[in-house]
Amino acid sequence: MPSIRGVYDFPGPVAEAATKLKDRGFNDLEIYAPSAFPELDDVIDDKPSGVRRWTLIGGLLGVVCGYSMTIWMSFDWPTMIGGKPFASIPPYTVIGFELTILFGGIATLLGLLVVGGLPYGKFGEVDNAYSPRFSAEEIGLVVSCSERDVAEVDALLRATAAKEVDLVEA
Amino acid sequence: MTPPPAMSVADTMRPPPEPPDSQINKDLLGIMYHRISPGYLLLLGAAMLSVVAAGATWVYQIYIGLGIGGYTHPIFWGAYIITFVFWVGIAHAGTLISAILYLFRAKWRNAINRGAEAMTVFAVLTAAQFLGIHVGRMWKSYFILPYPNQRGLWTNFKSPLEWDTFAISTYATIAIVFLFIGLIPDFAVARDRAKGIRKLAYTALALGWQGTSRQWKSHTRSVLHLSGLATPLVLSVHSVISWDFAMSLVPGWHATIFAPYFVAGAIFSGFSMVLTFFIPLRRIYGLEKYITEYHFDNMARFILLTGWIVTYGYASEYFVAWYSAVEPEQTSFWLRAFGPYWISTWVMLFCNCIAPQIFWFRWARVTPWILFVVATLVNIGMWFERYVIIITGLSREYESAVWGIYTPTFAELTIFAGSFGFFSMLFLLAIKVLPIIAITEVKELAIHEKAHGGAH
Repeated sequence: MPSIRGVYDFPGPVAEAATKLKDRGFNDLEIYAPSAFPELDDVIDDKPSGVRRWTLIGGLLGVVCGYSMTIWMSFDWPTMIGGKPFASIPPYTVIGFELTILFGGIATLLGLLVVGGLPYGKFGEVDNAYSPRFSAEEIGLVVSCSERDVAEVDALLRATAAKEVDLVEA
Repeated sequence: MTPPPAMSVADTMRPPPEPPDSQINKDLLGIMYHRISPGYLLLLGAAMLSVVAAGATWVYQIYIGLGIGGYTHPIFWGAYIITFVFWVGIAHAGTLISAILYLFRAKWRNAINRGAEAMTVFAVLTAAQFLGIHVGRMWKSYFILPYPNQRGLWTNFKSPLEWDTFAISTYATIAIVFLFIGLIPDFAVARDRAKGIRKLAYTALALGWQGTSRQWKSHTRSVLHLSGLATPLVLSVHSVISWDFAMSLVPGWHATIFAPYFVAGAIFSGFSMVLTFFIPLRRIYGLEKYITEYHFDNMARFILLTGWIVTYGYASEYFVAWYSAVEPEQTSFWLRAFGPYWISTWVMLFCNCIAPQIFWFRWARVTPWILFVVATLVNIGMWFERYVIIITGLSREYESAVWGIYTPTFAELTIFAGSFGFFSMLFLLAIKVLPIIAITEVKELAIHEKAHGGAH
């Protein structure tokens, strides 16, 4: 199946082209962008990112660990300090809070790796359609389509201000 | 008539030339590839020398004992704790710029956030060493961690020092995670243009990043969620540090205003340190296009604002001491200003309260040398602030019979100087291996600006 790559200067036309392509039933799309553009956020996949679940689970795990660790350790060797209860919740809130952030942060990093599919591919390999141009200032929109649709996709990309359109190996 | 030269077969087979690279990539990666000048080597050499001197002094201190410090009864928290608090404070600007300004969508942060994040990590690493240096027998530092041991004892979670351990280690971890996540797309930019060993290193660090929509979406959400987590964290860390003091009953320490006043002071000193390092960096590497007057103006406004919060904190402390009618409190504060440590108090007041007032004027906020001088004064003032709080507090407690005088010794000052050397050394090395200005974030603004005809 051929892949057609359009090269753009700005994110707006890429979003427009991708939306039109999806409307016409071309769903096998990929965008390579040099930066995070809000316009392109939901163009390929409009579902919310799964990273939020990782952060939430990490944070919850942290707060549970923070309180349970401090409370359990206080009763494992009960020591009266300053006339306070063995397990004194207000000071343990500091530990609970810090572990919430710590676990949440580490889980967010893991979420980025898992949800974002990183590390990607074999060491040093990149997609055929990828080019260092896309880590400069250009944006690539790659469409996989059947041979008979090549002309239609080509025309659509050019009509949405693609400055170059070429065929790349899938 | 001579026919035109025939195009060689090789020429026809040659792929078309690569399109020109982005000027932003060239400028910002250029910092890493810039010729290593004698000035750079001199600075790096000086920084390393001070680290070696501090390291040797530390080894000597371990051999001889903490007696080589200026500790004298009742003052057992000295220059090491002061320097620890100072560096933790410096570490605050990075997370503030990265997390809080990100949540506020303050796009101007894009040019300075990476450098500030790196400085956060370096400052926390510098600060963390002082805990080991301060406790003397640093090989027993792990006692502060709740680890299973034969005695069946656990740590005291009601102690602010234990909270500190959790706060600092969480802060260091999150700062490193924040820095690394931000760097991944920039490592890919560097990978696409590097050769040799650098290419291998950046390929490994970029984790196969190609800027696909899935990768960017996960990346922006991660940064958003981390910002949400780091914002309360940055406010909590210096609050917890302040509770090391405020939870005790030492005159001058036992105050509820300590947490907000410490956090403001940390941001105050953190921004000043960012300016201290960025002004020369901008000049040397010709980054005037990226770090503009607008950035300086905004940072100076932050310094002015936080400077006033700190000033309010000082005034409030004096007012509460007077209003409380507690004699040791009143004496402690009187002696701060007019006792044996009066110089440190007045240096603190001049540097932190008076010097930043020049930033009411725009010309001062955008003039690099003025910014540099004021930022340096604020750094000095903030070190003295901790000196005043810790030393005057401890040296003038309730019983006048146990009052003492503390003077830092040569050993303590050498280790203190070494901390600046360590921090500077890491920064100087970092600018040669890390994109110290966030390339992809600067590009986002530039591309949008171009798309809107320069009116974004």
